[in-house]
Amino acid sequence: MIKKLPSVCPSCSAALKITSLGCEACDTIISGKFELPVLAKISADDQQFILDFIKSSGSLKEMAQKLNLSYPTVRNMLDDLISKLSKND
Amino acid sequence: MTNLKTANLNKWLFNPFIYIAGEQALFIGWIAMLLASGIAGFSKTHFDGALDVHFGAHAPFVTSLIEQCVAWLSVTVVLYLLALIFSKSRIRFIDVAGTIALARAVTLIFAVLGFLPIWDLNKPVWLILGAFLLLLPIIWMIALMYNAFSVSANIRGSKAIVCFIIGLLTAEVLSKVCLHYLMPYL
Repeated sequence: MIKKLPSVCPSCSAALKITSLGCEACDTIISGKFELPVLAKISADDQQFILDFIKSSGSLKEMAQKLNLSYPTVRNMLDDLISKLSKND
Repeated sequence: MTNLKTANLNKWLFNPFIYIAGEQALFIGWIAMLLASGIAGFSKTHFDGALDVHFGAHAPFVTSLIEQCVAWLSVTVVLYLLALIFSKSRIRFIDVAGTIALARAVTLIFAVLGFLPIWDLNKPVWLILGAFLLLLPIIWMIALMYNAFSVSANIRGSKAIVCFIIGLLTAEVLSKVCLHYLMPYL
């Protein structure tokens, strides 16, 4: 089972931060406060969309063919994602 | 599972533009509009306006086709201009033209309904029944045109509704003016 990386606190809905990182090889633990990367804050579907977009060399037409959706639908999905990322900035 | 199937059917019925747009939609829409114009000649149906359907008067195929073209083009041009003004996305003319053409495929139903022997001003009861019969495909066509605009322009919610109503009314006036000046030459 792949564990989903949570980005929002289940208790108060505030944005989560990374407070510790561990090395599996030597058990070293680094503590601190680190921001989650922007891409880690979006949903798994949105992350997959970005991956597909990069694999399609940024071609919306190719994306539309792969996803069996129309060109404007894929463009709208991308625009929605851009506005989500802008809000996260 | 049944809900999923119903949702998919609803999408295909009312918003096929999620899956089809651009050149493909334009091609399918144009074939349907051509067929509707051909049938309309025999069933004495007219599409003389962006939202108009009238029965009774015979018209040659060319007249029917020009009426269809004017109705489609007026809606397409007006909604494209509104999309350019109000949308934040990069709009393609082919998407607006294609999706509106596909939405106008419903005119095929009107052209066939024109064969019914109820469009007679001397039979008011039948005429009222006919008006009710027309309501469903009219609502369907308007819903399709709204979704065509919403998807191709990436405008949603109240902004989309207001833009679409203004656009449709403007297109209706524009199509009537164009047909008024074109008709003497047909």
